[in-house]
Amino acid sequence: MAAELEVLAHAPTRAPNPHAPSRPSGCAVPSEEPLIGGGKTLTQVTRDVCAPLERRPTFAWWAALCAALAMLLFGVWAVGYQTATGIGTWGLNRTVGWGFDITNFVFWVGIGHAGTLISAVLLLFRQKWRTSINRSAEAMTIFAVLCAALFPVIHMGRPWLAFWVFPYPNARGSLWINWRSALLWDVFAISTYFTISLLFWYVGLIPDLATLRDRARGWRKKLFGWLSFGWDGSGRTWSRYEMACMLLASLATPLVVSVHSVVSTDFATSVVPGWHTTVLPPYFVIGAVFSGFAMVLTLMLIARRVMRFEDYITVRHIHAMCKVLVFTGSIVGLAYATELFTAWYSGNEYEMFAFENRLHGPMAWAYWIMVSCNVFVPQLLWLRRVRGSMVAIFVISLLVNVGMWFERFVIIVVSLQRDFLPSSWSSYCPTLVEFGAMVGAFGLFFTLFLLFCRFLPMISMFEVKTVLAPAHPKEHA
Amino acid sequence: MAANPLRVALFVALVPAAFLLPGSSPPRLPGDHSGYAPEQPIHFSHRLHAGELSIDCRYCHFGAWESRHAGIPPASVCMNCHASVSAGFDAQMAERAAAVAESRDPRRVVSPEIAKLYAALGLDETLTQQSAPTPIPWVRVHDLPDFTWFDHRVHVARAIACETCHGPVQSMERIRQVSSLSMGWCVDCHRASAAEPGGNSAQHVSTDCSACHF
Amino acid sequence: METHDDNLLLPFEDTTSSRRSFLRTVGFGIASAAMAGCSRGPVRYVVPSLAPSPEILPGRAYWIATTCGACSAGCGVLAKCRDGRPIKLEGNRAHPASLGGLCAVGQASVLSLYDSMRLDGARRGGASASFEDCDRELTRIFAELERSGGRVRLLTGSVHSPSTRAAIARFVARFADGRHVSYDPLPASATLTAYELLFGRRLLPSPQFERARTILAFDADFLGTWISPVEFGAAYTRGRELAPGAKFRHIQLESRLSLTGSRADERVLLAPWETAPALAGLCAELERLAGLPSRLAQLGATPRSERIAALAHEVWASRGASLVLCGIDELESQLLCAYANELLGNHGATLDLARPSQRRLGDERALGELAAELDAGSVDALVIAGVNPAYDLGGRLALARAKHVIVASEALDETAVAAGWVCPAPHALEAWDDGEPREGLFVLTQPTVPALRSTRSLRASLARWSGDARSDRDLVRAHWRSEIFPRSGESDFDLFFERALQAGFVELEPRARRSLAFRPDALAQLAPRAQSPAPGALALVLYAKVGLLDGRHAHNPWLQELSDPVTKIAWDNYACLAPTTAATLGIGEGDVVRVHTEQGAIELPAHLQSGQHEGVVAVALGYGRVGTGRFARVGPHWLDAQPTVASDGVVGVHAGPLVVWGSAGRSFAGAPARLDRLARNVSLACTQDYHSLELPAALASHGHEVRDAVRSTSHAEHAADPHAVARSKHPVADQDLWPDDHRGERRWGMTIDLARCTGCSACVIACQAENNVPVVGKDEVLRHREMSWIRIDRYYQGEGEELRTLHQPMLCQHCAHAPCESVCPVLATVHSAEGLNQQIYNRCVGTRYCSNTCPYKVRRFNWFDYPHEDALANQALNPDVTVRSRGVMEKCSFCVQRIQEAKARASVEGRALADGDVQLACQQSCPANAIVFGDLENPSSRVSASASDPRAYTLLEELNVQPSIRYLAHVHSGRSTKKESGHGG
Repeated sequence: MAAELEVLAHAPTRAPNPHAPSRPSGCAVPSEEPLIGGGKTLTQVTRDVCAPLERRPTFAWWAALCAALAMLLFGVWAVGYQTATGIGTWGLNRTVGWGFDITNFVFWVGIGHAGTLISAVLLLFRQKWRTSINRSAEAMTIFAVLCAALFPVIHMGRPWLAFWVFPYPNARGSLWINWRSALLWDVFAISTYFTISLLFWYVGLIPDLATLRDRARGWRKKLFGWLSFGWDGSGRTWSRYEMACMLLASLATPLVVSVHSVVSTDFATSVVPGWHTTVLPPYFVIGAVFSGFAMVLTLMLIARRVMRFEDYITVRHIHAMCKVLVFTGSIVGLAYATELFTAWYSGNEYEMFAFENRLHGPMAWAYWIMVSCNVFVPQLLWLRRVRGSMVAIFVISLLVNVGMWFERFVIIVVSLQRDFLPSSWSSYCPTLVEFGAMVGAFGLFFTLFLLFCRFLPMISMFEVKTVLAPAHPKEHA
Repeated sequence: MAANPLRVALFVALVPAAFLLPGSSPPRLPGDHSGYAPEQPIHFSHRLHAGELSIDCRYCHFGAWESRHAGIPPASVCMNCHASVSAGFDAQMAERAAAVAESRDPRRVVSPEIAKLYAALGLDETLTQQSAPTPIPWVRVHDLPDFTWFDHRVHVARAIACETCHGPVQSMERIRQVSSLSMGWCVDCHRASAAEPGGNSAQHVSTDCSACHF
Repeated sequence: METHDDNLLLPFEDTTSSRRSFLRTVGFGIASAAMAGCSRGPVRYVVPSLAPSPEILPGRAYWIATTCGACSAGCGVLAKCRDGRPIKLEGNRAHPASLGGLCAVGQASVLSLYDSMRLDGARRGGASASFEDCDRELTRIFAELERSGGRVRLLTGSVHSPSTRAAIARFVARFADGRHVSYDPLPASATLTAYELLFGRRLLPSPQFERARTILAFDADFLGTWISPVEFGAAYTRGRELAPGAKFRHIQLESRLSLTGSRADERVLLAPWETAPALAGLCAELERLAGLPSRLAQLGATPRSERIAALAHEVWASRGASLVLCGIDELESQLLCAYANELLGNHGATLDLARPSQRRLGDERALGELAAELDAGSVDALVIAGVNPAYDLGGRLALARAKHVIVASEALDETAVAAGWVCPAPHALEAWDDGEPREGLFVLTQPTVPALRSTRSLRASLARWSGDARSDRDLVRAHWRSEIFPRSGESDFDLFFERALQAGFVELEPRARRSLAFRPDALAQLAPRAQSPAPGALALVLYAKVGLLDGRHAHNPWLQELSDPVTKIAWDNYACLAPTTAATLGIGEGDVVRVHTEQGAIELPAHLQSGQHEGVVAVALGYGRVGTGRFARVGPHWLDAQPTVASDGVVGVHAGPLVVWGSAGRSFAGAPARLDRLARNVSLACTQDYHSLELPAALASHGHEVRDAVRSTSHAEHAADPHAVARSKHPVADQDLWPDDHRGERRWGMTIDLARCTGCSACVIACQAENNVPVVGKDEVLRHREMSWIRIDRYYQGEGEELRTLHQPMLCQHCAHAPCESVCPVLATVHSAEGLNQQIYNRCVGTRYCSNTCPYKVRRFNWFDYPHEDALANQALNPDVTVRSRGVMEKCSFCVQRIQEAKARASVEGRALADGDVQLACQQSCPANAIVFGDLENPSSRVSASASDPRAYTLLEELNVQPSIRYLAHVHSGRSTKKESGHGG
């Protein structure tokens, strides 16, 4: 994958066209074109990035925030009602014990992947194009993991006892926890991942916070001062800073792989046909990268338009991400094929039936939504014309998100729905309350992201400055 | 500025450390009511009955030998003695002396506490029915945590002395809970005894959850 | 603060160093926090009784031998009592009829005792009144009627209680025109009449199933609802067991799929109108075989003649050891049935005429006469006891026309509402009573709890109105002293009675009678003709459903939620149609249809029932009872909760009005009916979505079309290779991921013999009663959230006559390598040293991960807090079992509370636990003894023996979860179908 990205970064494309329009349309983009458009100077970068923080919020931002808050409120009601009344307010039954809850959990953990991948892995591989997007990608990661962590808690029958999953000394003859349970591994995997991601993101923020401090006055100056730990841009600080980033990056990298592998063991280690397969860990990781990038793409496309960052998140970034999407999408397709092959090759009656049931059982529609969105749709990105249109890319990224959500739905619900004894075969139909929890999670995510756009530099200024191309006044007549 | 958070962190870190100090007594956790010794409707003295008079526990708490619950004795059991014993020896002697002095028949002396017992049974001092009996609302002292099934029978059958769990009752003026009655407290004893040879016998001590929870 | 000094955490002796002082502040903070934590909740009191009763010790159970009053079968029960009240009924092993079994209805009857809607105190003209006033008035009225020679009628169900019969006789004798009329909601009057005509005595012979090698049952659901299912079920299974080599055949000839039919080796689909001719054909064939001249003068064409002839030969081969039964209460058929048995020499062999059953004594003709009298308005006083004619007889009796109507019923039912006087009757568990279910077998009923309601039995009331103020107990004792004791040949009555009380019954030689001679003249007039209904019309069959029976238990939530053993539907009745018929009529599952007959019309949802005759629509009786409106509040309340009761406020539809009244009495089968499909659809609460072991054709991969969950084989194949049926078609793993870290000295295990299990569902209710399993209501059942710890899976194979039905009790398999245990994050479900898969409710946080990974889907989650507001109903809860709260998982615990109790008893007695000390609720109640429980590690235990049967297999053994339950494959003596799952398809 690293190699692939290398190629992506320095993809030799056709010769530069002096009359290439500078606005971010057009199909091909010469690699010589700088990562940052508009031949920005250092000051311009600072001004541009800080602008959204210092000017009054736009109407669009207010509108978006209100929408997000409304969703969040709906979610709060749903979760509150369910916690007060019982899990019965969800559409689950004796056969299908998990539905939207764990589907959303896995979905959000998946989303939470791209951030660390982009910053850590791409940092280690010295991918310069990451600089404009890594900040927001990391923020997205943290918010997504927050949303993810919500579901394992509320899906409990007695969420107020959730703390029992932590090992702590107690008066019960030290009643311990079950280290064999994959659910428990999740607890640790995700909390670790969250901690590291948070640290990484914050450390990455410090220099920019310092910049903000220097530009701000009054209480904001105090606040930013506090947050930037009294940063002085001395060479010593910088060198240590670089070191810290490197360390955190190398810490975070294995987590990118570990966290979703662990999540996959929730399913892989149990006997349910359709869950009980060794392909799941890589399958989940690649799926996560795929969905993560799709979500980054979605957000970036909105952000660059709304926050007027076309010069910073350029066509070139978008394209790089599109290529990652095609690539990972294809691997996901391969994973689906492998899954089917394993089931057939195993000769196991139950495995075979589980997949027959996915392909053309009562819930086959979910499977085919998943396949078409995740495997077929991204292939369109091979076409230049498609890559050319931001709208098309946006739609595709959305579809991929949908598809990845359905992937988890299919794995969880369709597998549970019909297992060993025909007598207990059943079905599943979500209730309003379940939709509420799902919508609420999105509400939480967008609320946090919008606040982030408003109050913190969305683009890592100091990193972008490192990749500024020397300005050629001529080209910008 | 950066000092404040550091100090906070230090404080937070040291709080748990406080528990690990040698010699520091373990924290009293929620649900541990050892030491609970509430006022009872009748001042019944275990020290007097179980201690001085050394009446066998099973005389009053006969349930412990046949049932899960040891049980609080019915007032009828008290009356086995207190039909005749209505006051302490000294009080009786004093009255007799007074009677001799005043050259009259000694009156029946009833100690205030025993009077409460009679009242509960609706009797007057001459033990004639006056009113409808009203049960005595003893205050529960040993209250096991919920969702726990404890069986006195089995423990008595294993010849575990009452004092093992209930402490030196014979020396308590007012009954007091001495053990924490926490799960850990039970399990410690069970673990210890499970180590003893028990084999397949029903006497075997179990540390299974379902030994107490079902 | 001062009071809590001892709570402070840290020693204060050395406070010199600054570290100490710092720690002190820390300690103080935590101490105050801890004090907040350990502040004792509200003070709780323990209030001992002032003077204890000797046998009642708090927390200790005691048993009282008595008799089940749920139906007229009179099964013996031991009522398990705690703290002065019954909490569970167990079959009385010593009882000669029920042999320790107890059906679902009997098990549930303990809940009816705590029914808060039972009548309390007498009622006069719709308002409550004191017994004294009513007695005074009624005594006067009856005295007057005695003088004026008024017409007094006493309407009861079958009364086989000797003392009550004596009381009735005495009472009726007072009046010049007094008469006792009895009827059965589910009558057998025609049988009685048939034997009256053929043998000169009105009797109902007791079938001896264990002696029968071949059984021909015409619409007789003797394993489900017919007369005495527990006794019959027990005998039937023993009959099957006797000499495994010996050929046992059970052929069911019926129009709908009954529970009994589902167990038959062979089924023949006979429409109701074909039954009599078929029986005639059978008799004719038997006559031929016996070489007798035909007594059946006017013999019509025999339907299915070649099949009937074949059956005749088969049954003839085992004459003297065969049974021909007919469940249709219709004189013609019953005469022929009796004749067939006579030809086969079954009378005296498999049909006991010396000890006839007294469970059905009703006389339909007398009922008809009473109806006429009432219509004429010539009845002065009508006393109704033990029956609910206003409901049973669909309002056919003009009760209002009687001058005085006195009702003795437990609840304010359809009849009691209209009555002038109501003298409520007690529940069987709080009353004195006796009975004689079959001649010579005398049973006693004694109170297990002080009367919860102010009630009085009919016996006492009648005596009271005749100026005899004795109590029930005295009346029963007196009768026994004068009538029964002399026959015992014992000397001391008190001893005799005490012993009878202790045992719950005495068995005496029946009165010697002249032997009954067979008088065939009645047969000559028979002219059985198959008159099929007009084309386009269907024949309506009204049947009784397991649990609900005639509807007398309709107020019992356990029975309402018990999913029917055959259809698996709870909470409703429905019109059963053969799938083909439904297809031609364009009716789908749940479509509401209007069923028209000459009697009227009812509207109810349709149910597509495999194995039913195409010309028949079958509807269950016992629904639409007044008072089932109470179930509007059953189950959890939340924003999307659907009501359990229908729009008309009751559960199900009353089919009684469609019963046909003929000269010979009521007829429940054969009335021509038309069906109209309405535009509504009702979803029926079926606990099973998929009904076959065969996978959907589209999804089945080659060679795996059938799952082998339930294995069955034919006698022939089983004889050829006994081990074939249990052999797994899957490779079975021998490697384990986890170390075998919980091998104890004991391993509790169970075997379930599918050849014995009749699917009667007694175990389901027994478990519900024992383990405080909540009732969740129709909506939750529809959402597949029923809570029953043990369910009975029912699978169909084939269709029509070839249909084979398989029943499989399914409960927690207590796997040694349980998938559920390894996934619980908080160790709420763990393995015990004795092989139990323990579920610890108070540790459970409710992730449902365990339920997802359970291959048997036997775990049940508390989706809500299920209502427990009814303080009286809560008295039926088992105090030894936690009532689970919302959000925790639960499941079969192998009645661990019983295991613990047995161990405690053993340790008090200072002995080791013996095999058979522990009896699980399901095992105890099973009339067929299909369930054996014990220690698998102990080679001499019964369960080990049964587990070593060649038929024994573990379910899904290929998963290597190592269940503790072994199933014993079903062996039938029908034709073996290719789809036989024993052969893995």
